[in-house]
Amino acid sequence: MRTIINSVKLFWLLLALPGMAMLHGWWTGAIETMDMLHPTGETSARLMIAAMLIGPLAGWLGQRKWLMWLLTRRRSLGVAAFAYAVAHLVFYAIDMGSLEAILGELPIASIWTGWLALALMLPMALTSNQAAMKLLRAAWKRVQQLAYPAAVLTLLHWWWVHDGATAALVHFAPLALLWLLLALRKLNKSQTSPQAGV
Amino acid sequence: MRSLIFAAAFGLASAAALSTATPAEATGKVKCQAGPQSGWKNVEALKAQLTKDGWKVTKAKVDGGCYEVYGVLPTGEKVEAYFHPVSFEKLYVAQRGKVLFRKSGY
Repeated sequence: MRTIINSVKLFWLLLALPGMAMLHGWWTGAIETMDMLHPTGETSARLMIAAMLIGPLAGWLGQRKWLMWLLTRRRSLGVAAFAYAVAHLVFYAIDMGSLEAILGELPIASIWTGWLALALMLPMALTSNQAAMKLLRAAWKRVQQLAYPAAVLTLLHWWWVHDGATAALVHFAPLALLWLLLALRKLNKSQTSPQAGV
Repeated sequence: MRSLIFAAAFGLASAAALSTATPAEATGKVKCQAGPQSGWKNVEALKAQLTKDGWKVTKAKVDGGCYEVYGVLPTGEKVEAYFHPVSFEKLYVAQRGKVLFRKSGY
């Protein structure tokens, strides 16, 4: 049982399940192309937030077993977030129907923020493997830190393109809150700790 | 320090998004006080009228007591638009969240 739960393949299957359901719906005509944009985008953002929550959560709660389990799967979450973002773009392109129409929407704030977020996710996804990690060494971490501006852009893209702000904010609030808590704790520690050399 | 910077970035992003969002977008919908649906005109008639005007209607449904239409304008922009279900008056048109038209009071 433990082997099954710890199986990376099973984890990937779980990550792919929502996508398979979406594709099935679209293929059978139950979901229109324009209605594929929201679920693909939302799933991408959810996975991105989940991947980004793990590190700060481990920093906040310490090395819990379940967090360590998730930590080893953070890369899969990130890559899956990128895959759903690509699917989001593919269905956007199908829905728009022409390059001219796509370029026509590019100056709109809600659209270019989405393009930019995806552009930032691309180098992260491409370097999400052991070979790139070895090759890039210290620079690898800097590439993965593109997740922060990508998250801000994703929030803006979601907020501006969608009918309301609530859904986007509800999703990103835990991340912002956790960062804030960690920052406050750090600030508090630096103020209370005795200064060296005094 | 890094987390403080990004918490601040999130705050700024939220403020930027708020500054461009109008109240109707914040609630997500345009609201119509159009009375019971029995007094409304048929949505098919709205679709026919828009098609006659050069629109390509993709989808139409009821939202916030109005008719919400997804389609393409005669000028080519893909939009989401709201119409009053009794008068068929155009109330709101947006392209990917960018408001192209809004009737005052809505």
